[in-house]
Amino acid sequence: MIEVKNVHKKYGRKQVLKDLSFTAKKGEITCLIGINGVGKTTIMKAIMALTPINSGEILIDGEKIRKDSFEKITFIPDTIAMLPQMRIDEAFTFMADFYKSWNPQRAEELLQFFKLDPTEKIANLSKGSMAKVNMLLGLALDVDYLLMDEPFSGIDMFSREQIAEVFTSHLIEERGVILTTHEISDIEHLIDKAVLIDNGEVIMEFSVEEVRENEGKSVVDVMREVYRG
Amino acid sequence: MKNYLKLVNFEISRFFKLYLILIGLTIVCQLIGVIRVSKGYMDLAEKVMDKNQLSVSRFIEQYGTFSVQRFVYSEWFLMSIYIGIAILIIYVFLIWYRDWLGKNSFIYRLLMLPTERITIYFAKLTAIMLLLLGLITLQRLLVLIEIQIVNSIVPSDFRTYSYGISNIDIFVLLYPNTFTAFILNYGIGLIFVAVLFTAILFERSYRLKGIFFAIVYGVLSLGVFFAPLLLNGFYPRYFYPLEIILMGMVTSFIVLGSTIWIANHLLKHKIMV
Amino acid sequence: MTVKFNNRDPVYVQVIRHFKEQIAKGFFEPGQEVPSRRELANQLKINPNTAQRAYKEMEEQGLIFTEGNMPSCITKDEAVLKSVREELIIEAVDLFLGSIKAINVPLSEVLQLVEKKYEAESGETEESI
Repeated sequence: MIEVKNVHKKYGRKQVLKDLSFTAKKGEITCLIGINGVGKTTIMKAIMALTPINSGEILIDGEKIRKDSFEKITFIPDTIAMLPQMRIDEAFTFMADFYKSWNPQRAEELLQFFKLDPTEKIANLSKGSMAKVNMLLGLALDVDYLLMDEPFSGIDMFSREQIAEVFTSHLIEERGVILTTHEISDIEHLIDKAVLIDNGEVIMEFSVEEVRENEGKSVVDVMREVYRG
Repeated sequence: MKNYLKLVNFEISRFFKLYLILIGLTIVCQLIGVIRVSKGYMDLAEKVMDKNQLSVSRFIEQYGTFSVQRFVYSEWFLMSIYIGIAILIIYVFLIWYRDWLGKNSFIYRLLMLPTERITIYFAKLTAIMLLLLGLITLQRLLVLIEIQIVNSIVPSDFRTYSYGISNIDIFVLLYPNTFTAFILNYGIGLIFVAVLFTAILFERSYRLKGIFFAIVYGVLSLGVFFAPLLLNGFYPRYFYPLEIILMGMVTSFIVLGSTIWIANHLLKHKIMV
Repeated sequence: MTVKFNNRDPVYVQVIRHFKEQIAKGFFEPGQEVPSRRELANQLKINPNTAQRAYKEMEEQGLIFTEGNMPSCITKDEAVLKSVREELIIEAVDLFLGSIKAINVPLSEVLQLVEKKYEAESGETEESI
């Protein structure tokens, strides 16, 4: 489980995260929802120690992040986390070199699933393909937790469908996923938990099936209530 | 340790193409330079000796012999040195900033590697030092070749024979005679780059505020480092030279140790992508 | 199999409903093996936890059964199958009654229309066979 506890962060004069807390369980897909600039990406970077926090605690399976944690948790940012001059297969070699949790068979499988050519240079790929490679680099690691920042943004519909397919497959099973998006209606039926964020705070944290069962509301319905009311 | 070596290898291969170009440029510049300067001198000699009917020794009286200095302080040679220094200094900064800038977000990957983040720092530091050592080795070899070229163009009576290059200031600095001096000079160079790296990390952790921290930190480090010399300036003849050296070693360790400690802290807890 | 899920009813409930429909229509045969929870999630494009929940509920409701380590199968129990069919028919009837109640027409007339329509459509299907 990933626990974010009472995290505060200031950037310049702006209080970016205010006493923010939520949890994400392994084996569940948790979605951070909110408009742009509300702090979603910042939270994920904070979990990965890619940006500092002023106070609060972030625990991954009960521990603070250390170097070994990066074999257990990975982050797929909205830009490609690899040298653009590299070819896809060179990127694979790099990952295999540094990560014990790199799974070459899974990487091959994903390469074929996404229909990518391993000899292509990353810089020459289309936006959609680059996003797929980015995702591949994260999914091919045998990590327990995957953090994905806007995996669907700026991508054509078909690439998006391919990426969504990943979520219902064995590639995600048993893992904990935290993702951010502002296109929630596309993937409502895929997520387990929704965390609504506004202005650096958690407004609501709920299980989507429970809310459907108990209140007959979709996530979009809840959002409407919360952000308008 | 393994990750450190992998990262060093990685950093070197990233820069390698540019490095080869730099080496090529240096070789070309210096060879052109040495040929032109030697030829120029001989052409001058011929012209003057012919026009004024001078003998070799009279010519030398008026115009001087051809020494290595003549070549080393010529434009082509100096230019190649300056280019080399400039590129190295630029790369001291670029080796970090290139991972942040533009479409490049490789810094994400570096910071998410399952290794202590200070390894990245050490790898980049090592890469710079290796690049530097490569260049000075190249220069050493080039000088030997250049001397041969001079010998073939300028007859021995026109030359002041200098065994290598020991009387030229910059070369004394780069190629010290003793091993201790070598460690000293390059050790200081290493500390200097290390401090610069930490300054860069200040900027990357605190952005605008960070530049201010970086400058303060840099000045402080310089101060501590040169404290023994400053002390000696205030109280001349009070300290034995050995004492000054020992104090210098202590301050060096203090500066190096603190710079690494601070870099480690920044990379672990303060860095922002 | 592309099933359209709405986002307001719990997805697992919709999955169970889908199964019931398929059973009633005869697309799922009694005793037929059902896909694993992972396969189901992939086919229907839903969260595997939801597929899990749906299967659990269906098992409890007796719609599917699992023998030991074998894959789960659609029930062969006639009583259950019958009640599923009934349940869906009753739902359709409720829906139908709800639609026509507002229109003030005597029941006998309505039933006549239903019979006529039903025969016409069966006639069509018979002709096309």
